[in-house]
Amino acid sequence: MIRYEFLMQIRKRSLWISMGLLAVITVLGQGDAGPRYLPDDASARVVASSWAFLWSLLLPIVAGMVLADRLVRDDRLGVSRLLESLPTTATTRVMGRFLGALAATATPIFLATVIAGGAESISREDPAVLLWTPIAFGLVLLPGLVFVGAFAMVVPLLLTAPLFRVLFVGYWFWGNMLGPSYMPSLAGTLLTPVGDYTASWLLGERALYAGADGWLQLLRPEPNGVTAALSVALLLGVGLIPLLVGSRVLARRATA
Amino acid sequence: MDITIRNLRRRFGKVEALRGVDLELSGGMFGLLGANGAGKTTLMRIIAGVLSPTSGQVLIGGHDMSTRQGRVAVQRRLGYLPQDLGLYPDLTAVEFLDYIGLLKGLDDRTARRRQIAELLEVVGLSDVANRKLKGFSGGMRRRVGIAQALLGDPALLVVDEPTAGLDPQERIRFRTLLATLPGRRTVLLSTHVVEDVAQTCRETAVMVDGRIVFTGAVSDLVRGAEGVTWEVVTSGPPPTVGEIVSAVSDAGGTRYRVVSVTPPDPAAIPVPPSLEDGYVAFMQGAAAGRSSA
Amino acid sequence: MRAVLTDVSSPLLWRYESRRVGVAAQAAPAAALAVTLLLTAFTANAGGSRADIERLLLTGLEAVVPLAVAVATVTVITRDRCRELHLALPVRYVTTLGRRLATLVGAAAATAVIYSAALVATGWWSGPAAPASPLVWVPPLLALGGLAMILTVVGRSVVLASSGVAATWLAQQLYAASLASHAGSRPFFLFLTSRYGTGEGWLLNRFALTVTGLCLLAVAVTALSRPGAAPGEEEQ
Repeated sequence: MIRYEFLMQIRKRSLWISMGLLAVITVLGQGDAGPRYLPDDASARVVASSWAFLWSLLLPIVAGMVLADRLVRDDRLGVSRLLESLPTTATTRVMGRFLGALAATATPIFLATVIAGGAESISREDPAVLLWTPIAFGLVLLPGLVFVGAFAMVVPLLLTAPLFRVLFVGYWFWGNMLGPSYMPSLAGTLLTPVGDYTASWLLGERALYAGADGWLQLLRPEPNGVTAALSVALLLGVGLIPLLVGSRVLARRATA
Repeated sequence: MDITIRNLRRRFGKVEALRGVDLELSGGMFGLLGANGAGKTTLMRIIAGVLSPTSGQVLIGGHDMSTRQGRVAVQRRLGYLPQDLGLYPDLTAVEFLDYIGLLKGLDDRTARRRQIAELLEVVGLSDVANRKLKGFSGGMRRRVGIAQALLGDPALLVVDEPTAGLDPQERIRFRTLLATLPGRRTVLLSTHVVEDVAQTCRETAVMVDGRIVFTGAVSDLVRGAEGVTWEVVTSGPPPTVGEIVSAVSDAGGTRYRVVSVTPPDPAAIPVPPSLEDGYVAFMQGAAAGRSSA
Repeated sequence: MRAVLTDVSSPLLWRYESRRVGVAAQAAPAAALAVTLLLTAFTANAGGSRADIERLLLTGLEAVVPLAVAVATVTVITRDRCRELHLALPVRYVTTLGRRLATLVGAAAATAVIYSAALVATGWWSGPAAPASPLVWVPPLLALGGLAMILTVVGRSVVLASSGVAATWLAQQLYAASLASHAGSRPFFLFLTSRYGTGEGWLLNRFALTVTGLCLLAVAVTALSRPGAAPGEEEQ
């Protein structure tokens, strides 16, 4: 199931075009603080992490948009009835579709990371950047993608896909980029899917707002290796909640 | 309503779905036969004004379908049942027909409601008229589809693969319904099910690879298989000569119906052909023509 | 054209089209505003200043309502089970879509007007004088809605169009300072009222956004009017 879900999503032309366009916009609009302008002597770890963090600002939006109608669409196209007749549990079906679709939406983002890492390796004549690239992707981008993907797949079952998309964009801004000094927000907490904590740990300095004083102070420890690992664990753990809820909702609908 | 099509072509990227279609037809029921992917739906969609051709001309009732005015003039007198008819599941059958009726310009509420009630009676859905469409079976959905197509008493009815996916009983019922429709109007029925045309049409055309390869009376198509339709009963392996149209097994062996220029077996006996045999014989000839060309 | 003209005036037809849009899409602006109010209450509870609260309330009107309408527009255009049938009807499909979008915008407008009136009445309004209050939300709604339409028609994909709208909205929020400070980009900055008030260049900004939105809508309508141009739901 994971394999076919992956193939179905990866063949979506819109996934590649949207990711491509947003990647170009991100590179062009990165500003002076972007990874393109890092000093020549920046370490491979910093270069790779900076690119991963830059991608994490906008590209997961596409993943959320793609996954938003994944389960809803099965209902609309009448596929749910067929799937319900298969000898698999609702949890297996949801997890299978989640992992396949997540892998597919993460693929273009991983490619963008590798392309940037490869280009930096060549221009800086430092192959270590390319070695750090998958590590940075796995630590900065992947936990956030799991978190966002899980909510994007399940919440539309309860809210409808259009309303979810609106709230998702607002949430992405509020929960990642809106400084906690302006208003109570999740930005800068361990639950920030943009990868603020892991990026801050890898960069050796605060990437955005990680650990900045604000609402829910308990979730804002100093960024370091331990809190970065805690952030990854929290994002993955909380990401499981909607998947379990989604399985229950689908199981109930199947027997209703 | 007369239809004249000249050198019609339609290309989708690298695929040429229509490769120069020429067709003339007037009133009555007309069947368009062809395998899946022959280009029938593309032709139906162009006739319905849903799709523009890449080149060529379509004149319907004297209106040129390449102009907006021509399309609107035809669409005002058109009933269209697309191959993939989606319905709005939250509406009842009456509401759906009422909505389509409004879009067709049937402004008089009383007359529209009366016509809807009559059509629901015709398609046998009066009992479920106020039930939401989401609970309807495939056959019921098709019948709602034909009812919406008949709204406004159209002069041209375009029906694309109407019996696809229906069970045998629904299929027979739907065919009977189709056969009663022509009256004064032109009905264009596209299908890959030969039996649908055999039971409902006098005139037919056969499409192969984006071209019309046969136009004429259904009886002419049947006649093409005279002398080349055989029946063989054997308990051994199936005949290897010709094309097997059907195979029915019983205690005495398997009864094969074969279309072949030469007898497929020394024990083969010639039998009167059906339209299906005629279609197969014609397709064999078309394939032979293509391979020798 | 008689049929088209009569159809437009039929209240029954408008009711059917409103049902096609659906309660979820029509309620999206109100739901998004409710979330904004919730966040505002949070901010107030956390000791936010009056200026911050007023700005947040205005953001709901200027940023959240247009975003909700734009995303719902993508859905309304792409999701139609009967598109093939509509294209064979004498009423232009673009007219039908226009009617549906009108019900969506109508619901959003009603929400926005009630919300504005409530803010004025309770003394939390920080925008322009009350009669000019629609200028807070109409221009960005037109611009973002027009962008949504053109992306949907050209891209023929929910993902592409909604990602494009989302990226534009987020980029404008992220680069607000830089967009508002350059003379070339200031007229096209969507959130000028809530971010920087109604000072210098505000009217020009509202005018430029309105014209941009109308141009995008005109191009999208022209593109949609071609036979076979109606965008289907994203390739599955």
